[in-house]
Amino acid sequence: MKKVILSLLLSSMAMLFVNAQATIFAEEIELPDGFVPETVLMPPSPLSLQVLFVGGVDLVQTTPTYGYEAGIAYAKEWHDFIGFTPDETEESLGWISVNHEMIYQDDRIGDGGGMTAFRVARDPITGLLNVVDQQLEDGRKGKFFNVDFVNTVGETGMNCGGISSVVDGRIWTAEEWFRSSNSSIYNGSFTSSQGSGGYPKAPGGAENQGVRDTASFVISSDIEGFDGLEVRKFENFNWMVEIDPRQATAIRKQYNWGRQPYEGGTVALDNTTIYLGPDDTPGFWTKFVADAPGDFTKGKLYVYKADADDRWIEIDNTDPEKMLNFKSQAVAAGATMYNRIEWVAIDPATGLVYWTETGRDSPGSRWADEESAGATHDPYHIQRAIDKGWGTPSSSDYRDYYGRVWVYDPATNYNTVLIEGGPEWDEEESPAEADYFRKHLSNPDGLNVMNIDGQSFLVICEDLNGRSYGRVPAGVSNNTCELWLLDLNTENPTVDDLIRISAVPAGAEVTGAIATPDGKSLLVNSQHPSSTNPFPFNHSLTYAIHGFDEITVSGLEDPQFGDVEGLQLYPNPATRAVYFNQAIDLAIYNADGQRIKVFRNVTQVDVSGLPAGAYFLQTSDGQTKKLVVN
Amino acid sequence: MKKLYGILYLFALLLSTHFLSFSSQLEYTGADALGQVKQQFETGLEEMTAAIHTYEEQAERFAQQGNNNLPALQHAHLAARLAFKKIEFLLEYNDREAVKKYLNGPPLPTTEAKVPEVRIIEPIGLQVLDELVFGESPEAEKEQIAALVNQLGHDFAAARTYQGGIPLQHRFVFEAVRYELIRIFTLGLTGFDTPGSGNALPEASAALKGAADALAAYLPLIEQQAPAVARQLAATQQQALAYLQANPDFDTFGRLHFLKTFLNPMFALSLQAQEALQIELPGEVSELPQSINYRAGNLFDDDFLNVHYFANHSPGELNDKRVALGRLLFFDPILSSNNQRSCASCHQPGRAFTDGQDKSLALNGEGKIQRNAPTLINAIYSERYFYDLREPSLERQVKHVVRDHKEFGTDFLAIIDKLSRSQEYWQLFAEAYQSQPQYQLSKWSISDALACYVASLRSFNSPFDQYVRGEKETLEPLAVQGFNLFMGKASCGTCHFAPAFNGTVPPYYQESESEVLGVPATQSESRPALDSDPGRIASARPQDEAPFYAHSFKTVTVRNAALTAPYMHNGLYSSLEEVIDFYNKGGGRGLGLDVPYQTLPETPLNLNEQEIAALAAFMESLTDTTGLTAVPERLPMFEGEPEWNERVVGGVY
Repeated sequence: MKKVILSLLLSSMAMLFVNAQATIFAEEIELPDGFVPETVLMPPSPLSLQVLFVGGVDLVQTTPTYGYEAGIAYAKEWHDFIGFTPDETEESLGWISVNHEMIYQDDRIGDGGGMTAFRVARDPITGLLNVVDQQLEDGRKGKFFNVDFVNTVGETGMNCGGISSVVDGRIWTAEEWFRSSNSSIYNGSFTSSQGSGGYPKAPGGAENQGVRDTASFVISSDIEGFDGLEVRKFENFNWMVEIDPRQATAIRKQYNWGRQPYEGGTVALDNTTIYLGPDDTPGFWTKFVADAPGDFTKGKLYVYKADADDRWIEIDNTDPEKMLNFKSQAVAAGATMYNRIEWVAIDPATGLVYWTETGRDSPGSRWADEESAGATHDPYHIQRAIDKGWGTPSSSDYRDYYGRVWVYDPATNYNTVLIEGGPEWDEEESPAEADYFRKHLSNPDGLNVMNIDGQSFLVICEDLNGRSYGRVPAGVSNNTCELWLLDLNTENPTVDDLIRISAVPAGAEVTGAIATPDGKSLLVNSQHPSSTNPFPFNHSLTYAIHGFDEITVSGLEDPQFGDVEGLQLYPNPATRAVYFNQAIDLAIYNADGQRIKVFRNVTQVDVSGLPAGAYFLQTSDGQTKKLVVN
Repeated sequence: MKKLYGILYLFALLLSTHFLSFSSQLEYTGADALGQVKQQFETGLEEMTAAIHTYEEQAERFAQQGNNNLPALQHAHLAARLAFKKIEFLLEYNDREAVKKYLNGPPLPTTEAKVPEVRIIEPIGLQVLDELVFGESPEAEKEQIAALVNQLGHDFAAARTYQGGIPLQHRFVFEAVRYELIRIFTLGLTGFDTPGSGNALPEASAALKGAADALAAYLPLIEQQAPAVARQLAATQQQALAYLQANPDFDTFGRLHFLKTFLNPMFALSLQAQEALQIELPGEVSELPQSINYRAGNLFDDDFLNVHYFANHSPGELNDKRVALGRLLFFDPILSSNNQRSCASCHQPGRAFTDGQDKSLALNGEGKIQRNAPTLINAIYSERYFYDLREPSLERQVKHVVRDHKEFGTDFLAIIDKLSRSQEYWQLFAEAYQSQPQYQLSKWSISDALACYVASLRSFNSPFDQYVRGEKETLEPLAVQGFNLFMGKASCGTCHFAPAFNGTVPPYYQESESEVLGVPATQSESRPALDSDPGRIASARPQDEAPFYAHSFKTVTVRNAALTAPYMHNGLYSSLEEVIDFYNKGGGRGLGLDVPYQTLPETPLNLNEQEIAALAAFMESLTDTTGLTAVPERLPMFEGEPEWNERVVGGVY
């Protein structure tokens, strides 16, 4: 009874279901004796993971702070930006800097956000990274070090993005958590008649949001015009801050770059220009040009205006009032508005600057005020509003669900869209079923450029703002943030050109990624853990994905199947996906013939979740193949 | 057996294939069923478009003519809602967030997700309109009504365009129907989304009809594979609709009868049908865990809610060794700075893991801590923990107790130092955390073991559960009446959601709600004052700093409430009757307090004493601590610390 003549049966199934998506796959199959399906081999992945630093669980060395002696404390969490500083001495590979996107009181680490720095060396035999013991100039000894902000430049909050200079590995940290009053850094910013003022803190008050020291802050700085200036404590937040990862200490707040809810930035190859993006609607694309390479204490500050002759309008950065109120200066200058600028990255091969505009669903009302005060829209958003029938970007109808990646060309001084997020579809008409989106790029956030096999790739990390309108595929009940690669040689790239890196544990959002200078590893921060992942992958985490030096450009590309009859399969170990030459429905059976996976309307399937072993693939048009996963 | 079915099915398909190839299109296939559902959905979208169009016209007329046109406006509103309900199952399944944000979300402000600021979003959509159009003075709101209906038309058009293109799959249909069954019972029938009109029962009919029609498209196929399932499914759906028709009164509707006789059977049969048709289940399409166990056949099965999803653990990690170790730690006062207090000091097994105090005693007897100790049984079924919702996992909850100077008053370094002096503890940690040699005795493993123990404190075996599942023949009539009130007239079920009867929102169970009730500081009737505890607004999460989160507290479970007095975040009320009386009067506002963002309706519930007694009887029928209350006989030994070995299991006080 069990021995069905499967090949006959399968070949006739194709006729039954004209509509491929309606195929029902049997829960169990038994292959007939002697039936030998074509076997496809999935070689072992060249990529492997190594955990480096677990937030909240690993200990950091702290400096004397708030009257406590130097000591140890559990590291802060919510890893976001990751920076890398190469070791010129070649004694080690270099230093890793990790941002903690949180606001949290800590007697030893300091209140607010923070950073952790540590040094890694590559084991010559295993290729793994070892976190090496260090002794710093301030006497601290250990592996992981809290970056001291409290005793240097003042606390930071919600450290999100930052800058990792491609020139020399200098590191800046950013804080998008824009504050507008002292109560908003400590006592809460709400104005309810019932809740305002000093309320009892959380039980015991041992751990809480905020920065307890709200006394006015006297700036000590080598930036002209700011030294000795007394500001209200909240005004000492939201500056880009340079740190020294080698000594785990902060160097200076960049008062001359303006006070904005900064997220990302990048140093140009001339080591003179710095491009900056604030996570805000409107967000203003900003640049600082130093008087001399490498000295960022002196120079001029500009804001981008797409309709100005040379695109950049100077904002006087010697006037502290203007730097404290950068936004109103930018608006008055008629600057161009964007919708939440996140990370900024540069391709060392070309000098082109890439940045993410992560989007927010309804930015119109956030833009409208500033537009009436003089700020302007990018031509792209203006055209998009017209094309979609929404009028103008400031209209309440304007929708920006998915965001996009921009490229800025220093040669033309112009911002253009590199890749639009999506599924981008015509709001006037439903997408046809056959054209239904198979890939989704939603709310790109973390961004970097990585060299693989001599070629530049963008590394794009998603951070979903929501799940509506296709930000997660139909029939998927969990939010998933993907890690994508995009070959920067691709002309007019679309979402279909993205390459998914499945080495990342499912459901763990990658917040930031940066490649090691030797090209072998991608260093990754993640948060928003999913329960499928065992410890420590369900925690805020820094890990390395090794093996990128074994990947070739052609190994990442979609296979070229040519004009061949019938179903063709191509397993790609680098992406752990099996590619098909046509969109199909597919069931995967284990070696015992039990159905374990079903995919619908796919051109590739991720098999990274399958343990090594033999499987059978069965397609809706009646073909059976054997897949051996190694 | 199942295998045999599968093979038979393939034979059937094979035969039908040949049949098909010779004899035109007579054979009814899966593609035909799916095509029918698609057609139904398209028709439903068209009908809703038309209904909203009419609603827009009426709203415009109302804006000009005022109250003369109110009946027509209300009629148009109800018609639009019924049109929505008919396709609710697929609209929600395809894009639940869009439905919540634009079409039928709760009439409460929210904060925009993922932006680095507190950005308040005012509610829009059909629920807000339900309150306005059937409110006290619709005429005073006529402009707002017209604007909201206009916006609805706009947003529905966008939703329709997007959803019209989603390629349906068989599993979408079955999943959407099963989630709709949960939604109808836990939300629709309680009046959750009909706050003004109270039109919950006709809407439940419409929602059920829409879902039933979709399954009906599959009945011929189900009939081939599992004739009994097909017959029962068809009959139960018919009877359920008939029962809804025959019992139109919201206050007296027999919700328990409906649950037992129709809803749970449909929930089970729709799964059996899906399995008989060999349509893939969620576990075969996603690596990520689901909040509900899709294979559960009853909303009150003890594994209906998937504990691994809530515990943030893969199944292997929530294991016996960790639970056993966590249990020892839970009762071990060595965790506190004075070696006299344990978790069990405030979470006593005999009181369903509460302590009988209004607010728990602080460390060293120095006053009290901020809030009442909640029960830990079923605490796992939450998205966030603490009354102010500050932490997203039980593991992260532990550190607050450890560090709070009124609770354990210590830190993990000190605890690790102490525990490491016990060979026995070393051994237990080494066995439970063998897979993580670097972190065997660590802040993580201590927190994780405690979290595993708390996650093991689960109870769905009360007399009520047994009765619902048919394991018990009868339930006290007063409790039956109480359940019907709880889920209906008394509105309890609109916040204490079935089946855990806590604030974890069905049907997805992925979000925990908090509510502003306006609980007073004292029972004083002459000078009532709002309790000063700020609640969620002071959770230490920046996203919670919105004015409407002031005095907002997590909705805790009412399971085992008979054992957990006193009640509320401040332990104000010492009996269930007092609690019900507070709600019956309309919460803080009903008592005359100024509570600007109270989420509890301030209108009295008009419950009489008998009804209050019935509600209490229902809650008492939710008592079950079987197998959960055993206390360890001894605690691990410390070789070099003889005085520590004198410590008391569970703590001195």
